[in-house]
Amino acid sequence: MKKLISLLMAMALLLSCVGFAAAEDAVNLMVWIGGDKETDWINGVIEAFQAANPDTTYNITVGVVTYETVGVTALQDPEATADVFVFPDDRLHELVRGGLLQPVVVDTEAVIERNGGEGSGAMAASMVDGQLYAYPLSASNGYFMFYNSEYFTPEDVSSFDSMAKIAAEHGKQVSFPVMNPWYSYGFYAAAGLSVGLDEDGVSNVCDWNTKTDPFSGLQVLQALLDLVATPGFTDADSDAFVASVKDGSIIAGVSGTWNANIAKEAWGDSYAATKLPTYTLDGQQVQIRSFAGYKLVGVNSYSPNVGDAMDFANFMTDYDSQMSRFILLDDGPSNIQAAASDEVMANPAIAALAAQSDFADPQQVGGYFWEPAYTLGAIIVAGNPEGTDLQTLLDNTVAGIVTPIQ
Amino acid sequence: MSAHDKRKAKCQPAAGRFFTSLIRDIREGDIWVKLSLLVCGTGYFARKQYVKGTIITLLQAALMIFIPTMLWPYMSKIGTLGTVQRELVYNPVTRKNETNDFDNSFKILLFGIIGFIVVITAVVLYIKNIRSVRRLQVRAENHKHIDTFREGCSQLFNKRFHFTLLSMPVLGVVVLVIVPLIVLFCVGFTNYDRNHLVPTHLFTWVGLENFQSLFSQQLTDTFSYSFRVVLTWTLTWAFFATVSTFFLGIFLAMFINNRKTYLKRMWRTFFVVAIAVPQFISLLLIRNFFADTGIVNTICRDVGITQFFKNIGWIAPGLDYIPFLSNPQWAKATIICINIWVGAPYIMLITTGILLNIPQELIESAQVDGANGFKIFTHIKMPYILFTTGPFLIMQFIGNLNNFNIIYLLTQEVYVTQNQALAASNAKEVDLLITWLYRLTQEHSNYKMASVIGILVFIMTAACALLAFNRIIRGNREENFQ
Amino acid sequence: MKLFRITARHAVLTFFSAVWLVPIVWMLVTSFSVDNGPNIRSFFPQGWTLDQYAALLFGSSVVAHFPQWFMNTLTIATFNCIISSMFVLMVAYSMSCMRFRMRKPMMNIALIVNLFPGFLSMIAVYFIMKSIGMTNSNIGMIIVYSGGSGLGYLIAKGFFDTIPRSLLEAARIEGATEAKIFLRIVLPLSKPIIVYTIIGAFLVPWMDFLFANIMLNSGLSEKKTVAIGLYSMVSRDNRNTYFGQFCAGGVLVSIPISILFVIMQKFYIQGITDGAIKG
Repeated sequence: MKKLISLLMAMALLLSCVGFAAAEDAVNLMVWIGGDKETDWINGVIEAFQAANPDTTYNITVGVVTYETVGVTALQDPEATADVFVFPDDRLHELVRGGLLQPVVVDTEAVIERNGGEGSGAMAASMVDGQLYAYPLSASNGYFMFYNSEYFTPEDVSSFDSMAKIAAEHGKQVSFPVMNPWYSYGFYAAAGLSVGLDEDGVSNVCDWNTKTDPFSGLQVLQALLDLVATPGFTDADSDAFVASVKDGSIIAGVSGTWNANIAKEAWGDSYAATKLPTYTLDGQQVQIRSFAGYKLVGVNSYSPNVGDAMDFANFMTDYDSQMSRFILLDDGPSNIQAAASDEVMANPAIAALAAQSDFADPQQVGGYFWEPAYTLGAIIVAGNPEGTDLQTLLDNTVAGIVTPIQ
Repeated sequence: MSAHDKRKAKCQPAAGRFFTSLIRDIREGDIWVKLSLLVCGTGYFARKQYVKGTIITLLQAALMIFIPTMLWPYMSKIGTLGTVQRELVYNPVTRKNETNDFDNSFKILLFGIIGFIVVITAVVLYIKNIRSVRRLQVRAENHKHIDTFREGCSQLFNKRFHFTLLSMPVLGVVVLVIVPLIVLFCVGFTNYDRNHLVPTHLFTWVGLENFQSLFSQQLTDTFSYSFRVVLTWTLTWAFFATVSTFFLGIFLAMFINNRKTYLKRMWRTFFVVAIAVPQFISLLLIRNFFADTGIVNTICRDVGITQFFKNIGWIAPGLDYIPFLSNPQWAKATIICINIWVGAPYIMLITTGILLNIPQELIESAQVDGANGFKIFTHIKMPYILFTTGPFLIMQFIGNLNNFNIIYLLTQEVYVTQNQALAASNAKEVDLLITWLYRLTQEHSNYKMASVIGILVFIMTAACALLAFNRIIRGNREENFQ
Repeated sequence: MKLFRITARHAVLTFFSAVWLVPIVWMLVTSFSVDNGPNIRSFFPQGWTLDQYAALLFGSSVVAHFPQWFMNTLTIATFNCIISSMFVLMVAYSMSCMRFRMRKPMMNIALIVNLFPGFLSMIAVYFIMKSIGMTNSNIGMIIVYSGGSGLGYLIAKGFFDTIPRSLLEAARIEGATEAKIFLRIVLPLSKPIIVYTIIGAFLVPWMDFLFANIMLNSGLSEKKTVAIGLYSMVSRDNRNTYFGQFCAGGVLVSIPISILFVIMQKFYIQGITDGAIKG
């Protein structure tokens, strides 16, 4: 009897030790990815991470919160937000202002170096006031021109006019999402006009309705109206682009890597991609600029395991993870070593993005930019049906854009 | 106004009566009543109601512990809504963030309000307890029977059954509906927006500033303009939606209900199936159905309808599809039509039931008098239907004022504002006040303006409801109908 | 002439039925479609297959955790149905058949509270639920849906108002307790309104995505309800890959509800007309 009791006590002691040890070591992390297609990739990363850190047990759960909503969802209740989450770079300022993002204080130099150094686009997209707040994951959230090489030679695709002419000859069309200000920004930026964040980091400053040397916002607007009216040209946002590529009425169009598969399937071997063309502005050919888009990985500053979360985020965005992401998802890496590798450069979409990146600006506009600009786009696409004075249109748009957030 | 004055007249003496009777109870009560001021259960112990006494004392103890420890920290800060901003420091040794004991303004507001409600309830219960103990004393002195615990419990199923029935639902309503409403009502008087997001930032009271900015003409010019536009459309929409659905529903009901129709039940089933599909599924479906690149547009293009509309100028020349849901005028028409699609079967069901209830003698006597079908419809059936569904229609109108689903689901991702002034305040031409409010909260974290708009929507719907109900009550009743 | 009128009448009915059923039919056929995105070229799909259902029910895609969503929503709906109906009937009976001091004030308060836009208070409800640790769980959703349901008592009260007072009086004279009257006399007479209330309460979790979106914010797909899950399937990113599955999901969700409606049609109509007349 006595023996039994002592045996039981010994077992209890042992079990409690084990339990205690296990409780001590297991680290719980929650990770949010932006889409369900990314599950395989993140599972691979988790396995590799656990293997690389054998002395700690990690319980990592994966949740899906789309890129469109992660900015809002994360801020709604920061304590319930995941420890590590992926978000598009245009949310950076908002998340920093909401106190959600943990400043990167571990391994900062290494992260900066491997993504191109302090002056690179990736760093511009992840830093606020000189402090790094996120780990760049991918650099291919921008857009470029897909084209069907059956109809176009590489010289033809250098300007919209020539492309539209060729398309009209074949009874087909070339497309650009003019209505969507995310794209049409490039027309204004090409003329030297800008829109960006004010000092408070919340409202916008915009000079689209003014003159800069040598062009003016008025001329850009007129050029856009002319472009919309050109035969062989049509406005097509993502859905319409997909539909029209599938049924063959569009032979070239501007979109992003998310639609690369559609173009590949439709055009087979004639699938090709290049940077954005030039457009006619006041008689001259000007290169259309674009927004560079990055996906960043952020660490939740409210997380109870900030150090481990930072380790995981760091691992999630290093060379190997970004390469596996490219292989599984065709997502262009931000790591300069990975981006320069042969496999990556062989992908036409990513090569096109790389070519366009010389003309790409980081996307830093406040929330009030989108609706007024969208409306302006809608009016342009409709051909300015009410015949409003163009300068007035611009003035109204800019007034809406720069409204201070109340 | 007279009803209000009457109520006021009753209230004041009542409140006065409440406190004077309390003082009287204490003065005239015996030692046990006075002891109950301290330990609430003593009055019951004295009259041998041990169980009840224990329960009451335990409740008192619980409240006395709960309120100071859990609620007072929040209640005390409600004046400032928090003063300590969050600061954090990363500790490389523990690899965790260390923060100060910061305030969370929203939690302060929420739990502060809950605290006040709990305190008020506790005080009321305390006073009632004194009353109840005093009454018990009177009964004992008059040698009336004092209920044992069991008898008291059985009263819960008889004289006080309403208490049993109502306790759970009322608790649910207070905690989950009334408290949140009060909290969000208060948010309208703070500056809780995207610059003041909790828990990182604090927000504080700003009084009537938000209302002023809504109605002022200065830099938020467009906000007040948008408010007027959206309000107009909300009222127009509610009217057209209710009326159109109602008439089509009646038409269908009468059509099917007619003697000459065969297979009544089958026809009714068809329409019932259409509403049995959960509304949000069918609306999302229809959004794709009528999309700019969707199936209906393809068919219209092939058949030539699109070209026809272009020729008569109803479609802008730059488009080669019918913008069912992306152009203001088209979208408004489409939404009203789809609302008919969603709502008419429901009205049809109700009207069918009502029509079946019309006393046959009425119709037969009219036929004997020589009235034909049409006259019967206009003079007997229609008035009867209008009379019986009057209140219901009013509720439909009010419901349509807040009909979030149909507008949001149909236009969320496909509709672009064409009016620049509206776009500047994030409103769309097809928005109801409520969808605008939702978008302000969700996409721009502008809780304070959303709350302000919510308050104004409430005032509006309350006014409509009161107006309508007064009309109905004061209006023609059955005499006129006969 | 008579034949013409009859055929004309039925032709009109056919036309209207067709108009009403076209989108439903489209949903049905698209759920059998080979094409993953919305079918834009023709009304009927190019090819017929059961793949969409297979992917939805058995697929390993993270988006379509449909069986789990279905079970979540079914659980929530069942409990909500029971609790909500109880609350509504309890409140309606109290307000209609019993007289007590706070009756009129409570009815007025209920009327006023009902006029507030409901989801204005979502954030506050979320934090209340969070403080008891009930976010991201089925139980939390049940509490949220059924907690405030007592406010929707008007139509049920209207029905109870039609029960003759003499019946209740007679029972009281015979010495029955109020509880007995409620359970033994009134409820058995109220089958139509009970059916109406139960169906209404059952439907709520299937259709609501506002509250569910806020409460279930962990991003974990297994916790979602059918409403949010299906909603995410037609978002801009997912539309072209998951529309077929969305339709399949829609069909699967609609079948039990339609059957419920059709069977209960008689009760439902009676319940709502009696309630609406007096309400």
